Amino acid sequence: MSSPCCGFLAQYTHHHLVAFLLTFFSYVLLHASRKTFSNVKVSISAQWTPSVQNASSPAFSPGETWEENNLFADSDGATLFLGVLDTIFLFSYAVGLYMSGVIGDRMNLRYVLSFGLCGSAIVEFVFGTLTEWLQFYNIYLYCGLWVLNGLLQSAVWPCVVAVMGNWFGKSGRGFVFGLWSACASVGNILGAFLASSVLKYGYEYAFLVTSVLQFAGGVVVFFGLLTSPKEVGLCLESETGLRPVEKDADSHRPLMSDEEDEEGSEEVCDGGYYTIRQGDEEPRETPKAIGFCQAFCLPGVLPYSLAYACLKLVNYSFFFWLPFYLSRNFGWKEAQADRLSVWYDVGGIIGGTIQGLISDFMGKRAPVLAVSLLLAMGALVGYSHSPPDQVVNAALLATTGFFIGGPSNMISSAISADLGRQEALRGSQEALATVTGIVDGTGSIGAAAGQYLVSVIESKLGWMFVFYFFIVMTGCSIVFILPLIVTEIRAMWRERRARAQEL
Amino acid sequence: KAIVARLGYSLVYKGVVNSSVLCICCPQQQQQVGLCHLCNGTVQNGTAVSQFCSASAGLIDGRCCLLRKENIRDADYIIGLDLSNCSLSRVEDLQDAFSATTIDLSLNPIVNLDDSLFEGFIQLANLILPANLVCPGGNASWDKVKVKGETHFCEGQKDICNQTGYLSLNCPENSLCVPYGPGFFQCSCVDAFRGYKCLREGEFPIIQVFGPLAGSTVLVSILLWLTQRRKAISV
Repeated sequence: MSSPCCGFLAQYTHHHLVAFLLTFFSYVLLHASRKTFSNVKVSISAQWTPSVQNASSPAFSPGETWEENNLFADSDGATLFLGVLDTIFLFSYAVGLYMSGVIGDRMNLRYVLSFGLCGSAIVEFVFGTLTEWLQFYNIYLYCGLWVLNGLLQSAVWPCVVAVMGNWFGKSGRGFVFGLWSACASVGNILGAFLASSVLKYGYEYAFLVTSVLQFAGGVVVFFGLLTSPKEVGLCLESETGLRPVEKDADSHRPLMSDEEDEEGSEEVCDGGYYTIRQGDEEPRETPKAIGFCQAFCLPGVLPYSLAYACLKLVNYSFFFWLPFYLSRNFGWKEAQADRLSVWYDVGGIIGGTIQGLISDFMGKRAPVLAVSLLLAMGALVGYSHSPPDQVVNAALLATTGFFIGGPSNMISSAISADLGRQEALRGSQEALATVTGIVDGTGSIGAAAGQYLVSVIESKLGWMFVFYFFIVMTGCSIVFILPLIVTEIRAMWRERRARAQEL
Repeated sequence: KAIVARLGYSLVYKGVVNSSVLCICCPQQQQQVGLCHLCNGTVQNGTAVSQFCSASAGLIDGRCCLLRKENIRDADYIIGLDLSNCSLSRVEDLQDAFSATTIDLSLNPIVNLDDSLFEGFIQLANLILPANLVCPGGNASWDKVKVKGETHFCEGQKDICNQTGYLSLNCPENSLCVPYGPGFFQCSCVDAFRGYKCLREGEFPIIQVFGPLAGSTVLVSILLWLTQRRKAISV
């Protein structure tokens, strides 16, 4: 087997670039439309409630302009329901993730991806734009649509990861995946800008723009995506003997198995991409796939899942509630608040990259995580006391994003790399996807519960207690990965002592 | 139709049955006529309404003075209403006469008037009531209030939005105070703002946004299909 070319990028063709960009922008558009919902919460809340007046003053006239919509009596009820919607979305997203590993293994990735993108776009259009044009507001309709949206969107992530895994093998995966995993944050930024520019025309137009954009993305993906090099007769060199070392920390997710059947094409492709079985011609379905419960009981899965649940809760709460908090607490206009919330994602991108690099150099991830999470607690305290100055607020926001978004990115990649190296898992492709589904699904459930808690805490106790809640959650995630931190620090100590003894 | 039904009620209070009670599905014109024929007789000469009517070249129909509009058949606006000496004990709904400038309700045994009766009467400049009633919106809403024997004259609606007594800045964001009858005001959206709570501004440029988007989608799809998928072998 010839080793990869010396030039790092020379092994990549324009097909690789297109696959990278298409999967990158698929997830960007998905996250942009999610961000749209959180950025228009203030406008939606205003649309659902009648005008607020003192008890003594009469209601404003004309009623059609000021008093007509009575879906909720006041903005507190609307806020609670918006939290419920977030929770519902995340729950159905988690359930969908658990199932997606199975489906993605069995069906054409391109179809599933396009279907997920276009279907979700249609649902979002109905949710935000059609209900407003028809002036039809109904809480059961909203809930049902958002459940559907969660299920459809959960199909996208496993597919894009699988496609990336097909195209980019082990060599250079760390760097490419590190770059690629910025897609969620880029999507947040794009969604924030889109929403804030279009919001003045009405929130229904924000939904219209993002859903049409997403639908267009689904169409482009359908016509342009090659799900694996085999579709054009290319083949990745297999890296025999190379184990996924700790340098793979930047890979965001474990790679799902290539579900295109190898039909005796061993003359063209030998060993394929991410395959641990060398020269094995068994069809994908038969290698012993670890069952759901077995995978859940693997060492490390439970603590990682719980830690990720806590961290994803904080991360997603910022994602979903930040513009709402900024405009409610400081009285800034919704469009301004949207633009400001971008800084959190910028911090997250930088944090993920830099902390990934640091952990690459150290060869250990957990200490970096621990330090970052401790500093995150401090950053949260600082942010909760932010003065109403936009510049200071933006700086604090970026810092908080750096310390929280970074570990969030890294924990999910650390999980995949570590769990991928476990003895029990080696030799079983399907377990990787199942474990990913479990970890990400549990994280989403934690985030889902958190959304509802955030809205309840806010309406009963105020925003300061929400920040205390975040600090507690960050502390919990440190506690959950404490065993791993201890193990890795001990290993570091042993290595240092061993090296010192050699000298 | 609800207005006709309510007129029916007021007629019943009077104890007079009118054919308009039976007419449930009459067109708008019939409803206006219902108000104009609430009681017998026509606008008497020498009354305020008749003077006003001849001054504005209006058409007298029963107790109403209608604005003559040749072009539009059934859009006669009531500009004057004379219900004096009608033995009315209650007045339920005068909404059909919202455009009236002069209304005469004197010489009727009305006990009290609901203030909301005159909501929307932005043209009302002359209101003549029996002496026991107060001007709607209070004396502060009218330029001139005088009592002459049996009748109470309310003249000249004041612009409530200009008054220092009321907070003219009472309207929410993006809306302005607009008078809406004696003692009433509305908050209507300013400038380009529109929609519920005046939240929306401007018109979304659908063509300018989605035209290029559709075009570029088609272009990119074709381009990618040609460079990527055309060579695809089904695996």
